[in-house]
Amino acid sequence: MNDAAVLLELDDVGKSYPKTTRGHHAVRAVWDALRARPAAQHFDALSGVSLRLARGASLGVIGENGAGKSTLLKIIAGVIQPTTGRVAVHGRIGALLELGSGFHPDYSGLANIDLSAALLGLSAREIRAKRDAIVEFADIGERIHEPIKHYSSGMVVRLGFAIVTAVRPDLLITDEVLAVGDESFQKKCVAWMEGYLADGGTLLLCSHSMYHVQKLCRYALWLKDGAVMRQGDAASVTQAYLAWHEEKAASTRAPIAASVASAAGVYAIQSLTLEPGDTLAQGARFCVRGDVFSPDGRAPTVLVGLVRADDTPVYGVSTEIDGVALRASSPGHYGFALEFPALGLLPGRYRVRAHALDPEGVRLFDNVELPFTVTGDSREFGLVRLPHRWV
Amino acid sequence: MATPRTEDGATAAAAAPTARVAARARNRALFASFYRRELVTRYLGSVTGLAWALLNPIVLLGVYAFVFTEVFPQRGVDAFLPFLAVGLWPWQASQEALQRATTTLGSYSALIRKVAFPHELTVYASTLATFTLHFAGYVAVLCILAAIGQPLHLSGLLLAVPLWCLLALAVTGLALITASLQVFIRDIEHVLPPLLMIAFYLTPILYPPSAVPAVVQPWLAANPFAWVVGRLRDALLHGNLALHAGDAVAVAIAVLLFVAGRWVFRRLSPRFEDYL
Repeated sequence: MNDAAVLLELDDVGKSYPKTTRGHHAVRAVWDALRARPAAQHFDALSGVSLRLARGASLGVIGENGAGKSTLLKIIAGVIQPTTGRVAVHGRIGALLELGSGFHPDYSGLANIDLSAALLGLSAREIRAKRDAIVEFADIGERIHEPIKHYSSGMVVRLGFAIVTAVRPDLLITDEVLAVGDESFQKKCVAWMEGYLADGGTLLLCSHSMYHVQKLCRYALWLKDGAVMRQGDAASVTQAYLAWHEEKAASTRAPIAASVASAAGVYAIQSLTLEPGDTLAQGARFCVRGDVFSPDGRAPTVLVGLVRADDTPVYGVSTEIDGVALRASSPGHYGFALEFPALGLLPGRYRVRAHALDPEGVRLFDNVELPFTVTGDSREFGLVRLPHRWV
Repeated sequence: MATPRTEDGATAAAAAPTARVAARARNRALFASFYRRELVTRYLGSVTGLAWALLNPIVLLGVYAFVFTEVFPQRGVDAFLPFLAVGLWPWQASQEALQRATTTLGSYSALIRKVAFPHELTVYASTLATFTLHFAGYVAVLCILAAIGQPLHLSGLLLAVPLWCLLALAVTGLALITASLQVFIRDIEHVLPPLLMIAFYLTPILYPPSAVPAVVQPWLAANPFAWVVGRLRDALLHGNLALHAGDAVAVAIAVLLFVAGRWVFRRLSPRFEDYL
């Protein structure tokens, strides 16, 4: 990649925020800032992000809420200063960060066009020349003379996007703003962006829509808890992200609280733990331990199943099948523990599924899952090592 | 590996001369936009608008004139009305400029949190708009007073213009400090009015410096605002346009205040976003 082609460089960029912003901490913060010292108490919103972006190579930033996407875009846009690292942008940036960025709520739509275009770096003459085109693209009629604070969020986005279309920045940063416009305006925006990209423009898009990321971006960056989880070609990163989400949705459902279970009259798994943990060696001892709630004082049935990560069932057994009666550890709470002295699963990723059933083992009330990994370097095939010998 | 924060982050990247020229042009356009808006929305846009900006000091002038000529007559002042007007307007302008600028960053928080631009432009626009309006009122009132036969030397405006500029520079310096502190410590805007009230009575605006006991006189001389009022009265009431050595000190103080204010502001502004 030669230097002229590089539009954006980030080198080990991090941002931390103060934990508290009031009282004597604020005075302390002023003192630290005056001495150019880093802020004292903080949490890291972003850490160690490095990336290089060439002209025309659009990037989609994806991740959960709170993963640091907006912080990253704001740092690139220059709105906030990184606490660590270096940012270099070789070109004009146009940023649509959140709703109504670059707008003053008290100004009219027209006055905001002037302000916003000036913020984007247009001269007064250029602004005048482009004002009509902006008003036309925004297409919000007479409301253009009213203060922005009376606009609907969709109208604010229309105006913001219209201004960006007139400015044609080298790097366009948008933070999930497309989601707000109505269907026809979204189409208009996507059509404009495709034209912009075809003309060599570069897009930095933050979106929860994998469809938009795949359609508009060549590369993607997946942020998780403020750090880069994965970066690379858009298709593979978005697929990894979606796969991770599906796994997470299956495994992290919070247990039903005892009070809720009691009121609803259901048997519910209260806790589930794995021994030695979520990773074990092939052939090691494995124990599934848990706690199940019974609303009526009768010992519930617990069914524990092992499935491969792709949901292929491997083995399942219940207290009712084995004729085991659970004992109450405290009123309403029954502990259970299922031990596999030497787990025969072949190396790979699996899940434990624990179900709570009524004492008769007929009706299924609750299910909780936990992922685990079996490690090893076996070259055998299938799911499980069966007892065998060559004779 | 933690490298120190760069002075102005993303914009520093575009450090090529052409980029710097473009950035300066952009900042000028931005400042013009903020300044125009300050004038329009703050004064001309509201119903009472411009009238209030002029009426408020005129009403104050009337009340003070009544109280200090009819109720507590002042010793040593011949024509109280022009005497008061010459000093009251710059005070009103300074006080309002400081108070408005202190909260200006809060009113621009929507911009500051989402767009990269030099935050100090909002403070400049705010104080300059206030001073512009009050100076217009000042000239208008002095002309009216002169027209109704009050003893005034309008030639003194020649000196009043640079004095007002000096005042605006110094007050902008102070405002940069209070405005940036206000972002972190919200008490600043509540502490300012009583402090300004005290300063108002400690400055010879309603009374001549000669009315103060001799022991306090040196302290009065140390008050920069008292110096401004004194010079304005010299010029406008007595037509004395001569420059003194002390004027250089005043210029130095104003420049120093502005530079100090800007230093504080630039140290604090990268962290505004965390607190706004």
